[in-house]
Amino acid sequence: MAGEQLALTVFMAVLLVAIVAVLTRLEDWRSYTPLAGGGGVGYGDEATHGHEEKPGGLVRWLTTVDHKDIGILYGTFAIISFAVGGIMAFLIRVQLVVPSGAIVENAFYNSIMTSHGITMLFLFGTPIIAAFANYFIPLLIGADDMAFPRINAIAFWLLPPAALLIWAGFFVPTIDPAQTAWTMYTPLSIEQSMFGIDLMLLGLHLSGVSATMGAINFIATIFTERGEDVNWATLDIFSWTMLTQSGLILFAFPLLGSALIMLLLDRNLGTTFFTVGGGGPVLWQHLFWFFGHPEVYILVLPPMGIISYVLPKFSARKLFGFKFVVYSTLAIGVLSFGVWAHHMFTTGIDPRLRASFMAVSLAIAIPSAVKTFNWITTMWNGRLRMTAPMLFCIGFISNFIIGGVTGVFLASIPIDLVLHDTYYVVGHFHYIVMGAIGFAAFAGLYYWFPIFTGRMYQRTLAKWHFWLSMVGTNLTFFAMLVLGYLGMPRRYASYEFDGAIAPLAQVTTWHQIASLGALLLLAGSVILVWNLVQSWLEGPVVETGDPWNLEADNMKGRDFAWFEQKLKRERAITDGGEESSEDDSEPR
Amino acid sequence: MNEQSGLSDQYKRASPWPLFVALGLALSEIGVFVGVFPVAVFGLLLFGGSVAGILTESGYTERPWSALVALGATLAVAGVVLIGWQVPVDQLTLENFGRNGILSRSLSLVAAGLTMAVAGAVAAAVEQTKH
Repeated sequence: MAGEQLALTVFMAVLLVAIVAVLTRLEDWRSYTPLAGGGGVGYGDEATHGHEEKPGGLVRWLTTVDHKDIGILYGTFAIISFAVGGIMAFLIRVQLVVPSGAIVENAFYNSIMTSHGITMLFLFGTPIIAAFANYFIPLLIGADDMAFPRINAIAFWLLPPAALLIWAGFFVPTIDPAQTAWTMYTPLSIEQSMFGIDLMLLGLHLSGVSATMGAINFIATIFTERGEDVNWATLDIFSWTMLTQSGLILFAFPLLGSALIMLLLDRNLGTTFFTVGGGGPVLWQHLFWFFGHPEVYILVLPPMGIISYVLPKFSARKLFGFKFVVYSTLAIGVLSFGVWAHHMFTTGIDPRLRASFMAVSLAIAIPSAVKTFNWITTMWNGRLRMTAPMLFCIGFISNFIIGGVTGVFLASIPIDLVLHDTYYVVGHFHYIVMGAIGFAAFAGLYYWFPIFTGRMYQRTLAKWHFWLSMVGTNLTFFAMLVLGYLGMPRRYASYEFDGAIAPLAQVTTWHQIASLGALLLLAGSVILVWNLVQSWLEGPVVETGDPWNLEADNMKGRDFAWFEQKLKRERAITDGGEESSEDDSEPR
Repeated sequence: MNEQSGLSDQYKRASPWPLFVALGLALSEIGVFVGVFPVAVFGLLLFGGSVAGILTESGYTERPWSALVALGATLAVAGVVLIGWQVPVDQLTLENFGRNGILSRSLSLVAAGLTMAVAGAVAAAVEQTKH
């Protein structure tokens, strides 16, 4: 034991010395001293800086504070997480092909089910939104960068350690992964002794710190860094949704952080926040869902912003009822904090409380419907161009309607009492998280692919990706709705029911249909990754600043206007003009 | 990059500090919470040092040393307060270090804090002498 401690101490000391050595080599600390006649050397003090924006190679990516680079880093991280979470999801679906469970032990099933949820929500959902927002919010509002570029970089660099902690149970042989499900309900999450839970909670805490830092940055950026010609009336719809989302994060994530620390204390230091004799297990549910339901809107509002931004471009019409789309965003933001107890209708809380939460939950359908009708009306009589981003936008609306309407049913207390903890709930929220949020992310990826990479993706592959995803999503998650009606409980690793409890043959068939859908989703996702990577490396170089031909419909936004300027600057360099301040390594 | 100037002098959109601030915070959290003394002390040193560095680079302080002393002192005081509040006097023995979870965690705060504060003070003094 003492030997291990000594070895660890030596290792840590060597690491610290190595980091100091790297920093000393990279950075000249003495240069921070203010010059005799000058002031400070804060960010943006041009006099102390060289002409180039970023160093080359790996050092560029490790030290960048440029919002576009950080956007790319977030995006890459999110895609890797999506792959990890997706493989876990696929394993879950393969396991459930037969009632006894096809491939893994029950404990491992519980672990991948837990990690699938956490990975997709915290390590894919939030980061992919941050990827788009980091890249485009400054461009859309006419800012040079985010308000706090270094905090922006810190927020990103907290995510890889968070992911390693969350996944530690899977790759460190001596640590068992958590089996708590993503909701981490007490008393189960206090009683399970595996160390993987503690590490997962620490990882989640770090990801929460990261999200909060990002949110503060977006709020400050949108309030203070707008260009002269961008005011509240001309602010684009994506920025509005990011502003609202950041406000939600500011109120929701610190609460999650506190609840996680309380849970860690209960697990390790003998406190009694969530024990039966102390605060009670239901206290965890209140705290968790006070964060957890706004988290749904934290994840869905910016994707709705992407849809509201991209859909009009391929409809050749401006967004119908722009103001009301903004108002509905704000309304959803406010209402989202008043619905949390609809996750707790079956816990035995006061029926009068239940009724009020039911009312607010039903009310939130109104602004959601306002958005849906506005999207449909935007397309009405428009000149629709069925590009891949447009297909994903339409797929979003279709899936959002099914996910939303099934949610309205669940908001109703009597129905929830029957369907709670069944696959109906799983089907409902997957229509939103995969069918809507995932689809919006894909729409954004394809729409802005030319800006990210300077190249065009392969259109046929993108359409394959869309149709496999659309059919796969509806097969998998519609089957789950039916499974819920049949009484199949969620989270089970096997389902060898007595025939008197549930119709086993039908349940098995619907599980198999859901798994078939998952196979299609997997195929679609492989095509997506192939398309992204191959097109980035070898796709046709985009020669025009308007690859979507938006100019013709007067639909070109600031994003592609910036892209056009960038191309012009690069051409000026190739033609022997002066070197621009932009550092873009894409081959031209 | 030439040898006369540092990374953030030469490049407008680069800073070496954010990566290490994040790494330091992650290691501090793991070390202090899980109760692994070397990781906690190392993590806190990395975090405190990087915060002092990034504050100086971005112009919030003139030199990093005062920030380092302030951060170190805050940590050390927090550690001492935690010990005074949660650990009975008769348990303050060398034997109990490693057994009493709160004692060893608090001591990691004190150790890292004192190291930072002393390092900051010495560096400031050395710099003063040179001038």
